[in-house]
Amino acid sequence: MLRESSKTTGENYDLTLLTGTSGDGNIPHGALLVQFAEAVLGSDDERLRAVQSEIRARMGDAALVDAAAIIATFNAIDRVADSTGIPIEDNKAEVTADFRAALGINAFAEKRGEIADPRDRKSGA
Amino acid sequence: MITYSDASVAVRADIVEAHRVAWGRIARPGTWFDGATRVAIAAEARCVPSCALCKRQKEALSPYSIAGRHDSLGILPERVVEQIHRIVSDPGRLTRTWFEDIIASGTSDAEYVEIVGVVATIVSIDTFCRAIGVPLHPLPEPVAGAPHRRRPRTARQRGEAWVPMIHPKNLEGDLDTEEERVLAKYWGGVLANIRRALSLVPEEAYAWFQLVETQYLPGKWMRDFANEYRAITHAQIELIAGRVSVLNQCFY
Repeated sequence: MLRESSKTTGENYDLTLLTGTSGDGNIPHGALLVQFAEAVLGSDDERLRAVQSEIRARMGDAALVDAAAIIATFNAIDRVADSTGIPIEDNKAEVTADFRAALGINAFAEKRGEIADPRDRKSGA
Repeated sequence: MITYSDASVAVRADIVEAHRVAWGRIARPGTWFDGATRVAIAAEARCVPSCALCKRQKEALSPYSIAGRHDSLGILPERVVEQIHRIVSDPGRLTRTWFEDIIASGTSDAEYVEIVGVVATIVSIDTFCRAIGVPLHPLPEPVAGAPHRRRPRTARQRGEAWVPMIHPKNLEGDLDTEEERVLAKYWGGVLANIRRALSLVPEEAYAWFQLVETQYLPGKWMRDFANEYRAITHAQIELIAGRVSVLNQCFY
């Protein structure tokens, strides 16, 4: 979806931000939002409080709430996807193949003994 | 009842309402479990961060080589505790073999899916609380009553996922259950697998995505990149979503 947003808006977002590279990736407050996600999923409460304060100061309270809601959603939706073994859809596999490979995301599926790209299963790979 | 009145930030009213609805659902009889069991599942999920076995498994290169007993509340069967703890502690390394072992140990596939739905709900709301800096909500009191135990005949194993799912094409025409009729009305057109993941228990699939759409974006807004609907942009939303999924090592 981030890539789709990037294509539609004509912005050139740096998708390597997803894997933890530094910088904003051409997304306003990108680095800060990545830090927020990492702090919520981490265990350092002091760091989390510092990032929360910085978001409120730079982006506002409503942004903190909406960002929190996204983290809350995906921290759980990932568990639904992983525990039910749903595959990525063929059409998504096709359009995301290049950046999944480049960002090393295929390794997540391979680590589970799954085929990263369902099209490979159909071709007998 | 859930409230965010003590939070240092104002929480959107639709989120408050969605969390109240979700909390109420945890407490009420579900499809396969009564309210007391559903609340026990949520309580067990909260034990995971302090489970020594989960910690050792999480740190291990081969998590399935580490044996032992989970630090649990002792309310639920060990097979259910194992399911809850693994999903919460190390979701990125769940395997089909592990899933098949859970089913072979006596949990039905439909019970498994309902447990996933309850775990997802408690993880999501607890994560939100941590993210805005408020204490976790006390768990709700169970509501008396029996689960209705209706399995949708439209859910089938087509080799797509580990669990049987309903395909939207099978929700056309006469349907056996009210739950399927609700899904038929709510679904439509081509559906992403993530929306179908819990459809073996239609109530969980429907309720879970009501919460998702409130916290994230309804489908019609998701791809409307010309307009912004939240205090953060589409790009910021998808950056956060993507980063969380990478941290969880979620391929999907």
